[in-house]
Amino acid sequence: MIIEMNAIRKSFDQNEVLKEVSFSIQGGEICALLGENGAGKSTLMNILGGVHQMDSGYITVNGYQVTFDTPIESQKTGITFIHQELNLINYLPIYENMFIGRELKTKWGSLDLERMLVETEEMFRQMNIDLNPETMVRDLDSSYKQIVEICRAMMTNASIIIMDEPTTSLTDQEIERVFKMMKTLKERNVGIIFISHKLNEVMKICDRYVVLRDGSLVAEGNVNDVTTNNLSRYMVGYEVRSEPLAKERKIGSEILRVEGLTSIAFRNIDFSIKAGEIVGVTGLLGDGRSELFQSIFGAEKVSAGKIFLNGNEVKIKSTTQAIKKGIAYLPRNRKENAIIKDMDIIDNASIVTWPTFSWNGIINRKKHIEIFTVQRKALRLKMGELTDRITSLSGGNQQKVVLAKWLAASPKLLILDNPTQGVDVGAKEDIYDIILKLADENIAVIVLSSEAQEIIRVCDRALVMYHGNLQGEVAGEAMNEHTIMHLATGGQLDVRKGERSVDE
Amino acid sequence: MSNSSEVKRQNVFQWFANKWTREPLFSTAIALIIMVILQTLVLGFDYDSFGSWFQAWINNWINILRNNAGIGIIALGMTLVIMTGGIDLAVGSTLVATGALAMMLLDTGTKGLLGMLGITGIPAFLLTIVLVLVFGYLLGSLIGVSITKGKVPPFIATLGAMMIFRSVTQHFMQGYNPKVPTEFLQIASFKLGNYMIMPILYWAFIAYVLYYVSKRTIFGRQIIAVGSNERAARLSGVDVERVKLKVYALMGLLVSIAAVIQVSRIGSMDFSNAGRGMEMDAIAAAVVGGTSMMGGRGLILGTVYGMLIIAVMNNLLNLFGVPPFLREAFKGFIVICAVLLQKKEKTS
Repeated sequence: MIIEMNAIRKSFDQNEVLKEVSFSIQGGEICALLGENGAGKSTLMNILGGVHQMDSGYITVNGYQVTFDTPIESQKTGITFIHQELNLINYLPIYENMFIGRELKTKWGSLDLERMLVETEEMFRQMNIDLNPETMVRDLDSSYKQIVEICRAMMTNASIIIMDEPTTSLTDQEIERVFKMMKTLKERNVGIIFISHKLNEVMKICDRYVVLRDGSLVAEGNVNDVTTNNLSRYMVGYEVRSEPLAKERKIGSEILRVEGLTSIAFRNIDFSIKAGEIVGVTGLLGDGRSELFQSIFGAEKVSAGKIFLNGNEVKIKSTTQAIKKGIAYLPRNRKENAIIKDMDIIDNASIVTWPTFSWNGIINRKKHIEIFTVQRKALRLKMGELTDRITSLSGGNQQKVVLAKWLAASPKLLILDNPTQGVDVGAKEDIYDIILKLADENIAVIVLSSEAQEIIRVCDRALVMYHGNLQGEVAGEAMNEHTIMHLATGGQLDVRKGERSVDE
Repeated sequence: MSNSSEVKRQNVFQWFANKWTREPLFSTAIALIIMVILQTLVLGFDYDSFGSWFQAWINNWINILRNNAGIGIIALGMTLVIMTGGIDLAVGSTLVATGALAMMLLDTGTKGLLGMLGITGIPAFLLTIVLVLVFGYLLGSLIGVSITKGKVPPFIATLGAMMIFRSVTQHFMQGYNPKVPTEFLQIASFKLGNYMIMPILYWAFIAYVLYYVSKRTIFGRQIIAVGSNERAARLSGVDVERVKLKVYALMGLLVSIAAVIQVSRIGSMDFSNAGRGMEMDAIAAAVVGGTSMMGGRGLILGTVYGMLIIAVMNNLLNLFGVPPFLREAFKGFIVICAVLLQKKEKTS
């Protein structure tokens, strides 16, 4: 099957999102659709998926012109859109999920669970997937959920699958699993449109690439002919840096030390961080790093261990207390944990600091706006009115607003959990700049990330976790992707090579 | 020439469409204006002079507003409760419980609590008001504690409280008919000029205070944060439990104010029927005014409009002579229509 989208135009209100974009995909190829947030990727795919209607232009399938007025029409043609937020029902087993909306019935009209189970097993066998179809979806990790969605698409005989950032919440191991699946699909002559911000993955799995910028197609071609540098330049329109950013800084006194910290998610954690340091914490999914730092922030319970701030032992029972003690925590999964969608931009940027410019609980509006206006410039926020909803911003700018609320609290210890998740290349660099500037201002910064490259670029040293244990600490030469991955998969540091271990 | 007027019409239409989609209060206000025009028409112009027509119109309005002041105040609190993502079904029963306390304290008979202590007149009234408000606040806090500390879902906690408060009140007030001193009735019946508008003034004052609280205070903003994304609010250092507790306590306080108004307006209370269905009316007013049952979104002013829309409609049905049993159906119809007309959150 070959699908061609020709000279597609689309505007929302006055805002022209797509300016005569043409795009094509055929069976058996994996095409990367690249671009910063707001470049028009989602809109283009939503038009293909029948969610939005184009203003002008036309779509052909195998040469015949078609229109997709609803998602169902698009699906019937064989196009399946796998959204970033997976559409699975957690409290049903896999095989029932596979048949949602097109359940198999017995002749009595009741669900034919047996046949559904058998067909799912058959599907998994064909696809070489080692999963028990009777497992509840809530017990699966994100990669398997992704795989279940893909299988579901395959069962409806999808010939084109759109995958919207399928790997953002996956660890490297899981990504491998999804990639393997994608290769299988390719062999079966399915076309895949792969939307991602991770250029390394694009280089690895894709055949072709198409880059959108500000609603126009700026580059396309074979992946073999380009480098990641080329691609990121196409995406942002200028050269992007990739050199390490960490440099010599004045290191102050110890800010945080934990001893033997233990909970369900992690065990016996010891480490410390000094003012002006940037420490990375990484690992694979299930390593417990988010839980560890949420506990330090007072959002989760600890069963044993001690926390010291500035050398004094503290007991932190709530996030409110943690903030008072100068700890800030920027959570992962912005949409679930950080964005308050019913509040405007300025309130989202100042929810933590309201008490500092209010009198008896009454907010001083003038001061509120003054403070935010300064921040807005410093963070290079691209936004409309102060009172626009936070959801009107692109992912990168949303993240900057969330960062703003913590910076306004002038913390001594800043914990950033996946700070560049779902953020485009340009905004990523802005966030790195902010991190480095904060360290220069003598703030202790902890960066939690699943991307080893990010840690290596920004951090002075890195802690690697594995299944709730602190597996090792790396710095300098030893802080490379290979060593980090070795530790993150449960390997030990070889002391003879000069790499030091935290446990010594 | 015709072309330019065409353009102008286009602009007016666009302005209207823009307002309709962008401003949540706009559609509610339009609906209210339509209702008021309808009501004016139905009231008719069959009067000797403009003066007497205007007098009748004003009197009708004062009646509507006064009759709805109590429930109007409760609807304001309900808006805040719903904005946190909760609900309070116990308002009617809290009204009866606090009203019963007021009457027991004030009773001019032999069993009057304050009378037994020898406190009468203005001090007794003031003491009664203070005690009743404190009692309402405590009952609200009790619900709040079971929701925040006991982690009972608001629907269940307040459903339970609804049954408990009324049943206990009825038990204790069995065969007891307290008489409220007539001077106490002045609280609601005091005439400003020729008009009995005190309850309307209380309502307006409380609406203004809550409007200010919701727009300009940390507490008001935290309500939105908690209702919109509880987890994000907690991770931003908002004491979610405290915000919820305060909202339910405030709800109890507002109900007790409504109870004082009701007791001072009528001088008596039917403990088995007063306030029944009140929770639904309050929720309806909030919803018609644009409050989202999902939490996070709501407007104090919208609830005032919503209450007025429902009140004017009741008045209209009265003027039209619609059979009483059918009136609820119209109310239900209005609530559903209001939500149909409101701007929907985009799902994609």
